[in-house]
Amino acid sequence: MIGVTIDGRTIAVEEGTTLLDAARSIGIKIPTLCHHDGLPPDGNCRLCAVEVDERGRKKLVSSCMYPIKSEISADTKNERVIAARRFVVQLLINRNPKAIAIGELAKEYGVVREERFALEADLCVRCGRCVRACESNGTDAIGMARAGFERYVAAPYDEAPESCVGCASCAEVCPTGKITYKDDGLIRKIWNRTFDLAVCRRCGSRYATKEQLAHIGRLGAANIAVEDIDEPRLCDKCRKAIYTAKFKTGS
Amino acid sequence: MMETPKLLSLDALREYRRGVISDGMDKVTGIWVCCGTGCLAWGSAGVLEAIKKHIGTISADIAVGVRCEAGGCHGQCERGPIVEITPHGWVYHKTRPQDAEKLVRFALEGDPASPTEDKNPFTAKQEKRVLSRMGKMSPTSITDYIRNDGYEALEKALGEMSPEEICRAVSSSGLRGRGGGGFKTGTKWEACRRSKSGVKYVLVNGDEGDPGAFMDRSLMEGDPHSVIEGLIIGGYAMEASDGYIYVRNEYPQAIKHLQKAIDDARELGLLGENILGTGFDFDIAICRGGGAFVCGESTALMASIEGRAGTPRVKYIRSTERGLWDKPTVLNNVETWANVPLIVRNGAEWFRDIGTEGSPGTKIFALVGKVENTGLVEVPMGTTLRRVIYDIGGGIKKKRSFKAVQTGGPSGGCLPESALDIGIDFDSLTAAGSMMGSGGMIVMDDRTCMVDVARYFIDFLVGESCGKCVPCREGVKKMSLILNDITAGRGVQGDVETLGEMARSLADTALCGLGQSAPNPVLSTIKYFREEYDEHVRDGFCRAGVCRGMFAAGISESCVGCGVCRKSCPVSAINGEVKRRHMVDKSRCIGCGSCFDLCPARAITPERRPQK
Ligand SMILES: Cc1cc2nc3c(=O)[nH]c(=O)nc-3n(C[C@H](O)[C@H](O)[C@H](O)COP(=O)(O)O)c2cc1C
Ligand code: SF4
Ligand code: SF4
Ligand code: FES
Repeated sequence: MIGVTIDGRTIAVEEGTTLLDAARSIGIKIPTLCHHDGLPPDGNCRLCAVEVDERGRKKLVSSCMYPIKSEISADTKNERVIAARRFVVQLLINRNPKAIAIGELAKEYGVVREERFALEADLCVRCGRCVRACESNGTDAIGMARAGFERYVAAPYDEAPESCVGCASCAEVCPTGKITYKDDGLIRKIWNRTFDLAVCRRCGSRYATKEQLAHIGRLGAANIAVEDIDEPRLCDKCRKAIYTAKFKTGS
Repeated sequence: MMETPKLLSLDALREYRRGVISDGMDKVTGIWVCCGTGCLAWGSAGVLEAIKKHIGTISADIAVGVRCEAGGCHGQCERGPIVEITPHGWVYHKTRPQDAEKLVRFALEGDPASPTEDKNPFTAKQEKRVLSRMGKMSPTSITDYIRNDGYEALEKALGEMSPEEICRAVSSSGLRGRGGGGFKTGTKWEACRRSKSGVKYVLVNGDEGDPGAFMDRSLMEGDPHSVIEGLIIGGYAMEASDGYIYVRNEYPQAIKHLQKAIDDARELGLLGENILGTGFDFDIAICRGGGAFVCGESTALMASIEGRAGTPRVKYIRSTERGLWDKPTVLNNVETWANVPLIVRNGAEWFRDIGTEGSPGTKIFALVGKVENTGLVEVPMGTTLRRVIYDIGGGIKKKRSFKAVQTGGPSGGCLPESALDIGIDFDSLTAAGSMMGSGGMIVMDDRTCMVDVARYFIDFLVGESCGKCVPCREGVKKMSLILNDITAGRGVQGDVETLGEMARSLADTALCGLGQSAPNPVLSTIKYFREEYDEHVRDGFCRAGVCRGMFAAGISESCVGCGVCRKSCPVSAINGEVKRRHMVDKSRCIGCGSCFDLCPARAITPERRPQK
């Protein structure tokens, strides 16, 4: 265990714990945008900046990725930190004025959109959470296209992505609502593709697309074609309910 | 030509070297036609062919006395095609195929003019250590390299030194990375040596993304073995088994020559398994990059070698612990590697004996811009900017006056006249608000607008930002919008202060070095040329006559009345009779600048526009 002092409070954490996790464990709030607990970190929004003091050397770091490896102290609220965050939020609100999450940050950090630098408004903050979610699923259907200011989330060649299974994880993790999908009856539309939804035979919910179930099966090394998904299955909730019911009866 | 044996021991290498040295080639007069990228563009291939053809027409017993081949870059590319005759060291500029007969005659019978390098002001005041072999041998011949002291350092390293001793020699030489940061090479090497891992990597950064820079390209093209020898020594010193050379794909000749050098070294037994019977296994592969500026950044470069997109990664763990494929890795610049054999062969003391205390050795610069002589310049660290620009560079072109020198590439800074006596090294340039970078040096004259220069570099970086992190992707773009406003006469009070604040925040928040140092051109021009920013914002005036519509032409008494300006003006704002002083109707002048450079008397200068 390593001793770390955050905003004057010292705690012991396991080596390699990120500063963000350490701060959260004692109730210190640090704003994040590109970070998502279920995804590998990327450190690209720079909003979670805090100042660390490594044996007298003070520098700003991204707390979501900074691993605690020695006794350090960190300041999550000093002037330098706030200036850095305000700088980032200003740039974000200039480009993403309609994103609710960004609007809230702007209010918190006291910045307003600068009309002079307001280029085409957009919802996407290029945090890449969607891309990382898709990568983590093993589907790799979307990625970042172009570079610099023109960087944007896209499917290869901007066509309907072949390896997409319609799971909508990308939309689920998107902090701004840029990615949308539509479920209409037994049909899901996302990324310009159409998927059949599977219906749970117990509760009747439309819990996943058939491609998604086939993909999960393939991850488990079973060679499952989408047609094999035709027979009705149980959704996660119902499966759990049935299993736990078995334990309850004790028989 | 000797057969290429596979050398199985250090003794075999020594024996081979003796054979090479006594093969009689040193008595043959060499005619080296530079076939670097620059000279090729001037048509050096035709010169080479003409000389070879001419040698073919002279009697065979005389022809054995000369050897004509393609040589490496002399660094003075604007004077190409360049031919050197060895061992005399005579150098000929701007040669043509029809000079073949004359050059062969000089080689065989001597040249009374004896145009040696010490008669050429551009080269006389240089100290060529890393560049010493360039242009005097065939870059594609391993025997030529060996004839010129090549692989002596490797022989010494493997034969007489332990890996620890090599790291210590590099440390005590004080060698600092030539690729930009000036990080102490020895410190990096020792850290990697200490890292416990069965697999380690050594890498060469040959991305060379700075516009106008060509030090590394010339070295890789003209003396590829020097980089490879350094890399093998580094591999041995850090107990690495694999080396990669990352070269941008726009450098086809560098790739070709490096590949030939690697193949030849492997054939001779200097790469591969159990090198020279010492039990050391090491091999090198070339990795071609797409030529993005950001791919020169260490984490982006490693991502690119791994086959992922070349974007930087957040790094709180050093590469010497976890680098390429998460293994301990040392990345050094081309020129850094080429210095290694020199240090091993001559010792750390020898290396330190030129240069400054904090930055020993020499540095190669790519001197370009408004100087009389442009090209590669190798000088001891500590040499003043003035000496490089005036004594070597020959001063400002067309006798105009000096305004600024930009060092350090796109993330470097601009220094004014008052900084000309600074001795160039890593620390002095940083202290002055610029940086060494990889050695780009762009000289600017009084016809340069410093705000426009800042705009140019920021726009370059907008184009090169990878777009991963918010501060650089959105922030550099915002700085570009402000600078484009200022240079278009739309600047507003407070813009300069905003730029200053943004610069500080960017340095604090950007993910990688590109974004962190992006504001340097802006900060340094604000620091030294603040009046020019104020004139643009407050008065709508560009004193250099560069920013369109922000000045009016004014004609001074030196006008000779030739009328050239009158004819060139697109809005007929200039009036005057032949042989009489001309006048400009300032209210009509649109400030396009077309007349300025046409005036033979240099009588036209930018003046403030009349207030509306
Ligand atoms: C945006 C950016 C571009 C860079 N480009 C280069 C380059 O083209 N060549 C190079 O040697 N180093 C470049 N560097 C520096 C490298 O990251 C690294 O520090 C260097 O290769 C280390 O070698 P050295 O210690 O021998 O200089 C660049 C750095 C940044 C941030
Ligand atoms: S679409 Fe959403 S999740 Fe994806 S990069 Fe944009 S804001 Fe982030
Ligand atoms: S600083 Fe610029 S180049 Fe570096 S990661 Fe951020 S966006 Fe990419
Ligand atoms: S949350 Fe840490 S950089 Fe985005």
